Amino acid sequence: MIPALALVLGVVLGLVLEPTVPAALQPYLPIAVVAALDAVFGAVRAQLEGIFDDRVFVVSFVSNVVVAGLVVFLGDQLGVGGQLSTGVVVVLGIRIFSNAAAIRRRVFHA
Amino acid sequence: MTTTPSATGTPPARRVDGSMSLLVDMMANTLDEAYAERAALRSGEASSTDAPSRRPRQRGVVTVAAIVVLGVVTGAAVSQVRSRQEADTGLRGQLAAEVGDRTAESDALDGRAEALRQELSGLREQALGADAAGRAVAARLDELGLASATTPVRGPGVVVTLDDAAPDPERNPETVEDGRIRDTDVQDTVNALWGAGAEAISINGQRLTALTAKRSAGSAVLVDLLPLKPPYVLRAVGPPAQLELGFLDGPVGRRLFDDSNAYGLRLEVRRQDELTLPGAADPDLRAASPVPAAAS
Repeated sequence: MIPALALVLGVVLGLVLEPTVPAALQPYLPIAVVAALDAVFGAVRAQLEGIFDDRVFVVSFVSNVVVAGLVVFLGDQLGVGGQLSTGVVVVLGIRIFSNAAAIRRRVFHA
Repeated sequence: MTTTPSATGTPPARRVDGSMSLLVDMMANTLDEAYAERAALRSGEASSTDAPSRRPRQRGVVTVAAIVVLGVVTGAAVSQVRSRQEADTGLRGQLAAEVGDRTAESDALDGRAEALRQELSGLREQALGADAAGRAVAARLDELGLASATTPVRGPGVVVTLDDAAPDPERNPETVEDGRIRDTDVQDTVNALWGAGAEAISINGQRLTALTAKRSAGSAVLVDLLPLKPPYVLRAVGPPAQLELGFLDGPVGRRLFDDSNAYGLRLEVRRQDELTLPGAADPDLRAASPVPAAAS
């Protein structure tokens, strides 16, 4: 409940305040969001399976975002930033979907 | 529930999908292994010592903070994309509005120039009509105006209408170009009309002078720099019968007539008893100047 409220609060804050993101970081925002979402879905699944650990969540959250950003940054330097962002989104997307499927099985038993 | 492959009990036999182990691992092992490890560690810890009570709360705060950060970043990214889209469409709208404004402005200036031209010719007639010398100058001016196509004229003549072939779905798309009126068709028609004795010609309301250029840009025909849309209506003032026969019997008229049969070009020549042609703008003579009377 509290995490859901926190997420809503964060989205509202981001939309209302429109924080100015440095131009150099702008390409990494969507990737950061997808990476963080992956960590969040993993956490929800772990919670449902009763093995949630907040330290693991925070560490995986931060490292996911940083690693995804670094991979895309490296791709940009190598001239394949677009392809690597696609790759990151595909891999994290698959993980998000399978975690969401696991959550669904837990919650609805279907 | 989880399909985590056990790391210890791997059979020695090679897996069928071994070459895709990375993909399989990615699909099957979606939960961070650290959760399982920590859970195992904690269950071991709990049996031995009591877990401190304050640390989980602190970590809970960090968790919530991380989720808030995720939300803020999401919102920021969304608003960023939105503002970029707005800027794009705004810019396009601005440009379109500017084009519209400038076109209207240019039309208004054209109308004003026309009104001023009429005012000028009226004033000139008034000023020159006072005495015989002035009337002689006025007559000469009228003559020159006719020759240079700067004064509006009226009189009998013919109307020649040229149009692209009607779009025909059965026609081979590669030959659509053949059914299009080109700048050379317009040029030839104008020249044939001059040759047949036309005294003044206009195309779609644009009076032609000796300096008017007729050329094409892409598939559009330009007269001076104004693009014209088909149909091209050429009004020529002159003896109607002589113009019609001269044009239709001449090489250009025959060629266009053949083309109209072969490619579906539309060609129509009509006599008219009364035609009114607008005057052209005064030419900008940049290099030419009249020869002094003494020298001629």
